[in-house]
Amino acid sequence: MCGVCGCQQFMIPLAAEEPWRADTARVKHAPHPEARRVAVERSLLDHNRAHAESLAKRLAERGIDAIGLLGGPGAGKTALLEATFEHFGRDDAAREAVVEGDCATDFDARRVAAKGVRVAQVATGSLCHLDAHLVEHALDDLDLSGVSRLWIENVGNLVCPAPFPCGERRRVVLISVAEGDDKPEKYPAMFAGADLLVISKADLLPYVDFDVERCIAGARSAHPALPALVLSARTGTGLDSWLAWVNGEGA
Amino acid sequence: MHEARLCLSLLALAEQHLAAAGGGRILGVRLEVGDFAGVAPEALAAAFPICAAGTAAEGATLRIDRVSGRDLVLRDLEVV
Repeated sequence: MCGVCGCQQFMIPLAAEEPWRADTARVKHAPHPEARRVAVERSLLDHNRAHAESLAKRLAERGIDAIGLLGGPGAGKTALLEATFEHFGRDDAAREAVVEGDCATDFDARRVAAKGVRVAQVATGSLCHLDAHLVEHALDDLDLSGVSRLWIENVGNLVCPAPFPCGERRRVVLISVAEGDDKPEKYPAMFAGADLLVISKADLLPYVDFDVERCIAGARSAHPALPALVLSARTGTGLDSWLAWVNGEGA
Repeated sequence: MHEARLCLSLLALAEQHLAAAGGGRILGVRLEVGDFAGVAPEALAAAFPICAAGTAAEGATLRIDRVSGRDLVLRDLEVV
């Protein structure tokens, strides 16, 4: 029994030079004489990661290119999808499929469905990000025959989706110019795992204090050589480079 | 905030390894959190005792080491 407070909790030093620290306990506890150490050395992210890799592999085997879209709420993820499908036209859009993640509503699913793509909406409730399991279940409701590309639009969030791959082969992170050029420095984890930075709503640049170079430099401090594009889904500026990247021609 | 869910994964993994090691009670859990893991150690620490209640790790001490990188690794358990 702990001699300080009388509780049943104990602590044991792992090694003389590395004492067991009571980060969550208010009281230092005495070592338990019979405690032993069990090595685990496993990542908590392994479960989702394995699921995501398996899903990515199965999608690739079916010839489906999966692209994840990430960014804060209002970064312009859905608007970029709309502009992209608009550009493809309805015939080509029929080969695109989308999984939409939001806490509530099917607003985004309706918006992209209006462009002729197949879509499944995931309403996550209070969950702050999608994961491979949620995406897999969303795909149960989606007919992927004839589909050559799957878009996975994550819940609007610049923090939580970062460590949870969802089966996508590439990840796009959007920052709208209205959000501020300092965001990549403030939310580096998301950019560390990105394959492309899209600076969106470029048509608003004359009205906001947004330094494009600073934003890109901030993202590259988390992910050196991260490709970056500046575009406006509204005016179409920069969409050519975006579509080239989507089609695997580099940014 | 997804730390509570991660705590449940942590406890499931811990109990699995406890059973493999012959069972008992978990007194301590040592976790490494990468600076780019997108996980708040404070939120994990707050969620842990609540999630651990009723499990073999009830009352256990959670030690969180911050490391570089993007991973979240359960290093080891103190078991009795």
